[in-house]
Amino acid sequence: MCEANVYINRSGQEELLMESVDRIVPGEDHSIFMENIFGERRVIKARIREMELVHHRIILEEIREASESRHLELWLEPDTNHGHFHPGEEVSLKLHKGYNMCIDSEAGFSVLQAFLVNEGVLEEVDMHDHHGTMEIGINQKLDGLVQVYVREQGDQERYAITLVEVGHHHHHGMKPAGLPLEIVPCDYSHARLGENYEIQVLKEGQPLAGVEVRVTYSSTQNRDYPHRLTTDEEGRAKLFLTARGNYLFSVSDDNIISTFTLIKSF
Amino acid sequence: MCKNMPPMELAIQFHGHICPGLLMGIRVAEFAQKHLDVSQDYDEELLAVVETNSCGVDAIQAILGCTFGKGNLIFKDYGKNVYTIASRDKNRAVRIAQKFKDRPDPDSVRYRQLNQKADLTDTEVNEKENLLGVIFEKIMSMPFEEIFNWQEIEFDFPEKAQIYPTVQCALCGEGVMEPRAIKNEQGYICPTCV
Repeated sequence: MCEANVYINRSGQEELLMESVDRIVPGEDHSIFMENIFGERRVIKARIREMELVHHRIILEEIREASESRHLELWLEPDTNHGHFHPGEEVSLKLHKGYNMCIDSEAGFSVLQAFLVNEGVLEEVDMHDHHGTMEIGINQKLDGLVQVYVREQGDQERYAITLVEVGHHHHHGMKPAGLPLEIVPCDYSHARLGENYEIQVLKEGQPLAGVEVRVTYSSTQNRDYPHRLTTDEEGRAKLFLTARGNYLFSVSDDNIISTFTLIKSF
Repeated sequence: MCKNMPPMELAIQFHGHICPGLLMGIRVAEFAQKHLDVSQDYDEELLAVVETNSCGVDAIQAILGCTFGKGNLIFKDYGKNVYTIASRDKNRAVRIAQKFKDRPDPDSVRYRQLNQKADLTDTEVNEKENLLGVIFEKIMSMPFEEIFNWQEIEFDFPEKAQIYPTVQCALCGEGVMEPRAIKNEQGYICPTCV
């Protein structure tokens, strides 16, 4: 056998995945890397089901993500489409629950509390159900960068935090809000497409090294998180921003799931 | 719009989507601005001669302000990813040509395959989206000289675009720019009616 066509079996149907494959390398986490004689490469989550060497056929079976491994998380999104609010305007945010920025409409909420951190001062803010969507409306004079976060206590502890810009041109960095598990932007300066964006994961205020940070964005068509980063020894991880819209960073540790929504103006 | 959009966002907004061709055009436009030390064109201080009509030209229009409508975008249908950007104020021009690669980048080849395929499976949709991200980072992070050749050239600046009188076509009654019409015994005839 020199090279083979690789097929994938999906629900009993075989589908040609790649022609003339001459290299297959099983990777970690059930991934299979393949390369063909034309230099094309693919990685897919699958296992080898059958190899018909005489017929130059390799048949894979797709591994779907087990639904139970997809925990539910909270995330906040602003009720504005251009990345910030204007002074005097009501700061309004929506709270969602789901996975990979896909809302799970079946998922209910346990005990929720919402907080505003403005210039280091913490204050609880109201949250209300608006036609099935949890909303936070902050009707007070704000200017600059403020943090809004939500805590849900139940079977798991969930946090969702975001950085809201009121007014223009606020470039300074932010102090952590002090969550037990928190994703903090390293240098907030209007995150832009085509630039790197760095975050730091803190656990009880200390950098958390070696933890996986999942990253997705609102326009993704991926069923699962398109990016998975690992924090370095300072708890930091960096991502090159390639998509329009808001990004969601998510981390879990010790039964706590914490997200950070990066609000982009574009 | 509350804030000035950065060049990349301007280009994506104008073009409608993100694709490798547009990103190439963004690199060219940003390089030309820096190299010639010019900002976005207001009224034909800049001029672009493009030898392609691919996606990258939209970045030239959006970022440099050399546009079809203003007349400072000259299209030569050569099918080459070559862009000449010239500044009247500086009396300088730079010609930028995308390097030819014997062995195309496998990620780009695969992306093109998926882009041309009509019915993508879920896996392929994911793969295409991920590939675009990889290519995006590659194009925007790669040193300019690895993707393009460039050189300053002598440039004969044409006159600024002229505004001609509009005359009425004797057959259809519609207005037509005078130099584009022919004149016969019936009067002015527009190209559509000839």
